[in-house]
Amino acid sequence: MAAIPSSLAGGFIGTLVLITIIRAASEFGWTRMDLAFLLGSTVTVNRRKAKAIGYTFQFLLGLVFALLYGEFFEIIGRASWWLGALGGALHAVFVATVLVNVLLPVVHPRMGTPETAANEIALIEPPGFLMLNYGRNTFLITLLAHVAYGAIVGWAIRI
Amino acid sequence: MRIDGYAPIEDYALIGDGRTAALVARDGAIDWLCLPNLDSPSVLAAILDATRGGTFELQPAIPFQSSRRYIPNTNVLETTFTTDRGSVRVVDAMTLPDRRLEAMREIVRSVEGLSGTVPMRWRFAPRFRYGAGTPRAEWRGGIPVATCGAEAVAVMSWDAGAPAWIDHTLEGRFEAGEGSCAMLALIGAYAEPLVFPQRAALAARLDGTIRFWQQWIDTRKYQGPWRDQVARSALVLKTLIFSPSGASVAAPTASLPEEIGGHRNWDYRFCWLRDSNFLIDALIELGCFDEALSSFWWFMHATALTEPDLHVLYRLDGGVGIPERELPLDGYRHSRPVRIGNSAVKQMQLDIYGALFETAWLYSEGHHALDRDTGVVLGRIADRVCDIWRCRDSGIWEVRNGPFHFTHSKVMCWVALDRAARLAGRGELPSRHLDRWTREAAAIQEYVETQCWSDRLRSYTRIAGSDDVDASLLMLPLVGYGTTTVERLHRTIDAVNRDLRHGDVVYRYHADDGVPGGEGCFLNCSFWLVAALAKVGRKDEAAALMERLVARANDVGLYSEEVDPHTGVFLGNFPQALVHLALIEAACALR
Repeated sequence: MAAIPSSLAGGFIGTLVLITIIRAASEFGWTRMDLAFLLGSTVTVNRRKAKAIGYTFQFLLGLVFALLYGEFFEIIGRASWWLGALGGALHAVFVATVLVNVLLPVVHPRMGTPETAANEIALIEPPGFLMLNYGRNTFLITLLAHVAYGAIVGWAIRI
Repeated sequence: MRIDGYAPIEDYALIGDGRTAALVARDGAIDWLCLPNLDSPSVLAAILDATRGGTFELQPAIPFQSSRRYIPNTNVLETTFTTDRGSVRVVDAMTLPDRRLEAMREIVRSVEGLSGTVPMRWRFAPRFRYGAGTPRAEWRGGIPVATCGAEAVAVMSWDAGAPAWIDHTLEGRFEAGEGSCAMLALIGAYAEPLVFPQRAALAARLDGTIRFWQQWIDTRKYQGPWRDQVARSALVLKTLIFSPSGASVAAPTASLPEEIGGHRNWDYRFCWLRDSNFLIDALIELGCFDEALSSFWWFMHATALTEPDLHVLYRLDGGVGIPERELPLDGYRHSRPVRIGNSAVKQMQLDIYGALFETAWLYSEGHHALDRDTGVVLGRIADRVCDIWRCRDSGIWEVRNGPFHFTHSKVMCWVALDRAARLAGRGELPSRHLDRWTREAAAIQEYVETQCWSDRLRSYTRIAGSDDVDASLLMLPLVGYGTTTVERLHRTIDAVNRDLRHGDVVYRYHADDGVPGGEGCFLNCSFWLVAALAKVGRKDEAAALMERLVARANDVGLYSEEVDPHTGVFLGNFPQALVHLALIEAACALR
């Protein structure tokens, strides 16, 4: 519990960096993934509002995950930037293979799944394995962004 | 009647579920099925290789005649076999999911005895990966299953005999007496366990599928003399939309030849931006706003990696890696090579920019204002059009001996900038480059009127400075070009009639395009001629031609890409979205 303030501080900065990396990659045309849009469009079809809401979701999730990182570091009794980076890498693999690939389409009311048929209308294409439907570089960018996030959170946490 | 094991293309009907589709021949054989998706490798491909391709036959074991129809306003096919010993009705459908646990993909084949007692035979020969994958034929708790890597299919049967695997082929026989009801179901799975549904669940899904299609078509808003043809076209188009993403394929097949024995055999299981835009236009016209929104969102998402440059075609998952390769298959009636993938993806085709902006305009006109982000992207694309409209391109027909200055491409660039300026005027696009868009649009018009008109031909020309005509010029009145030069549009239509029309169908051009071999008349061009005539006010002429063209559909209302003008046989991939889109456009122009 002692790590909560430092976890939140690290989570805030880490999420800022994560969002910046993904947004920059998108602007450079390296990926079509837009996590803020994917998250925000769960509650609205207005693309602009979706992004604003999505960024809020993303920050909240970033803080929640930072608290989980802090809890984990307290349990093992140590924290460091490289442990955080390692956690970030695992986090990215989980995001790309399960969280966004499998779970998000299931709960997202506007996202297609491989089971979506003619009697349903999807507004957003499913991400696919390792989110490769959004571009070949998507997983590498996700990995980079989460490693950076984890390293910052790991560096910031004080046990 | 099959020739060397190949049914005529017009003998096929389409069933689909918005994820994949199958072609069912008049004799009851399913000769084309890709699993799990429209662009996946085939499991059944006898249409491309009668020996090695794989098929699922279901027919009387004695000589028969067949007639068929779609159950009205559905994509559910009903084939009636008549024999000396009685008659049987087979209903084929790719069922849609309901709230029960369903298989990943399933085709239901329901067999109903109508009269007498008819001996029936069925034969299932799965050949995975375009015939290259050897299936493992096994049994799972009494159910025959064939697997190949992550792919698996099973055939469940009720009152349809005791099947047996014979050399990787499952065969069964049974008798259909009057009032009897047998059922077969082809179950597919990819990278997950097979689900074996119960008969009652399959029957309920079949009923639900019929209900869904009928309700869907009931809400379409076209009312006019060609309502049935428009409804059938809408049903085909809905089947060709890949529901998980909103992308749409140009056709569900690959390498059906443009000439029997010929070389022009292409894979159409991709999303052409041009077709996608025509589709959105048609969906808006028919009142399918949800589907139009889905396709538009897919479109903006798919192009995000490449904008302001647009690719000609995209995979259904939005990717652009579509390498073309040849398969060691015999080809439809020995038409080789059999190609999958499509190297047209590398071409530059300027007309797609105009198609995009026309769609954005219609989308906006349909009371869907563009959001600011989309407007910003479209603004960047309009700037790009200003930069590139003077370039040569491969044109709408994807010629392989180009690039050239195609008139149609230039006009579509004018459409792009004209619509961009109009959208900016509405505040839906940033207006800081409005002056440039207006100036460049005027420059394009000046170019077309001076460089792309032939006094000798008395027509706009295929290419700037050439002396031949092209059916793509029929698009000019359809996109609102030339409102101040209507006489030139009339003369161009006359030139197409004179030089490219053969009876009621139209060749796209007669010039060399860098691909060996010949081709038939393009049915989309024929419907464009109807629409062009209607747009310039020659409605009687248009309606008469429309009547003749709708009679060219096969017995269930479908069209392939082309038709042989001499014999009337279908050629090219089947059914083709662009033809059905052109039919809808023609019908709407005649309203």
